[in-house]
Amino acid sequence: MNQPASITPLIDTLYREHHGWLFAWLRKKLGCPHHAADLAHDTFTRILSLPRIPCLHEPRAYLTITAKRLIIDQARRRQIEQSYLAELVLAAETMRNFPSPVEILAVIQALTQISAALDGLAEKPRLAFLLHYLDGQTHAAVASQLGVSTRMIQKYLVQALVHCHQTCYSN
Amino acid sequence: MPSNLLLELKHGANLFMRLHAATNQHSALDNITRQAAEWLVRLSADSATSSDYAVLLAEYEKWKQADPRHAEADEKMASLIDQTRQLRNVTPNTAPARAAIEAGFEKNCKRSHIKSVGAALVLVLALAVPGWLILQSYPPAYLMADMRTATGKWETRTLTDDSRITLNSASAVNLDFDASRRVLTLVRGEILVDVAADPTRPFLVETVHGSIRALGTRFVVSLDTDATTLTMLESSTILQAVTEKKLQGKAEDKATKNANGTIINAGQRVRITFKGIGEVENIDARAISDARQFRQLVVENRPLPEVLDELARYRPGFIRYNRAQIENMKVSAVLPLDDPDKALQLLAKSFPIRVHTVTSWLMVVDATNAVIATDTSRK
Repeated sequence: MNQPASITPLIDTLYREHHGWLFAWLRKKLGCPHHAADLAHDTFTRILSLPRIPCLHEPRAYLTITAKRLIIDQARRRQIEQSYLAELVLAAETMRNFPSPVEILAVIQALTQISAALDGLAEKPRLAFLLHYLDGQTHAAVASQLGVSTRMIQKYLVQALVHCHQTCYSN
Repeated sequence: MPSNLLLELKHGANLFMRLHAATNQHSALDNITRQAAEWLVRLSADSATSSDYAVLLAEYEKWKQADPRHAEADEKMASLIDQTRQLRNVTPNTAPARAAIEAGFEKNCKRSHIKSVGAALVLVLALAVPGWLILQSYPPAYLMADMRTATGKWETRTLTDDSRITLNSASAVNLDFDASRRVLTLVRGEILVDVAADPTRPFLVETVHGSIRALGTRFVVSLDTDATTLTMLESSTILQAVTEKKLQGKAEDKATKNANGTIINAGQRVRITFKGIGEVENIDARAISDARQFRQLVVENRPLPEVLDELARYRPGFIRYNRAQIENMKVSAVLPLDDPDKALQLLAKSFPIRVHTVTSWLMVVDATNAVIATDTSRK
């Protein structure tokens, strides 16, 4: 939100001109006025939080894409949350300390980001990334698990990191 | 017209050159990203030993400082790596995190496929989980025992030697009586024993943690995962922990073994673990001695986790808690064992805890003050 003062009128016009139809569009799409209002608000917040306000030639298209991306992100987050909690209950048997609600929240946030960053990456580089960085396995251990050479694992890891960098960048 | 055409051509060439420049810039950035990624992978390679590592690290720092774009590309990826690594600190078991990450993007690209697999999985889980839970709460040793009671059932039996045993809820024993001795093995749960005197045949109650030799008495033996608790109601017993038995040579006869045991008298309670016999504490034997009151849990100054473990025996399913959160809470109470859920509610009223019913099989107990404490520390 470190926008220079000159930006504010720009957002102001954008909001006044487009909030109405965006809200209507979202309400039709989501079927829930409260959820739609939240999302419309989040869409503008996201644009505001960008390092620089993009020059909008097609504001409608831009806003719709941003809103759609938010819907996908929220679905992803819900999916991750449900899956994590379900697995956590199953794994509770083997755990010494059950994570606190605050920890669970932080983990779900991190998982959402990691999942978004890895989205679209091929299976093997993704597995290499998770086995090495999440599980803490050595390159050699990951190599034997995936049935490829250590050199290949390093290639996979580079590929995964570059991919993550690009997905984070485009968001 | 030709001038117009010329203009268009010029414009086109201009556009092409601009596009070309942009692509060049783009690929330069891509190169930097790739280099940064290669650095990060090299740094966590198996071959990076401590001496190599210092050299590698120095070179890497140099590379980062060479261009601000290097540092920028590196920072983004490094922070994602850190974020991923830190998940292990929260739960060393990474299976839930793995499953959640996969769940996050699978749905987006292969919705229909996942739906059907998901439905199949749910079905398998629906079938498998109860089976798994049953095995967890009724392990094979319990199912194969000579005498056993189901959750929430009590049973009193008179044995062939006129001794009487009362099996508490979800308990199981094996009997091994012969001409020289009477051995009762507690496999699970809790028993109240009234031993009939028989000078020729000693009466022994054994658990994984130790053995209790009765001297014409009445006592309660209770077994949980990490300890056996002996509560003496009348007379006394000689107690031996498994560790002590192991220390003594096999050649020694029974008399010496018994002489070396610890004598526990009426009104005393003791815990036996694999580490040995714990401290002897005094209890109010009268409160427990009535068989009818066996259906009430009488506790005095006991840690809440132990009380929850005890209550868990009287209801099907599990009670989960974080031991560190609640072990400082000491309970003194008489709790109804006929209605363990009510007992839990009573505890929730008198302690800063919350009881969540996840399913009828799983209750989660957590401390309310612990959550608040964490919240404020983060602020």
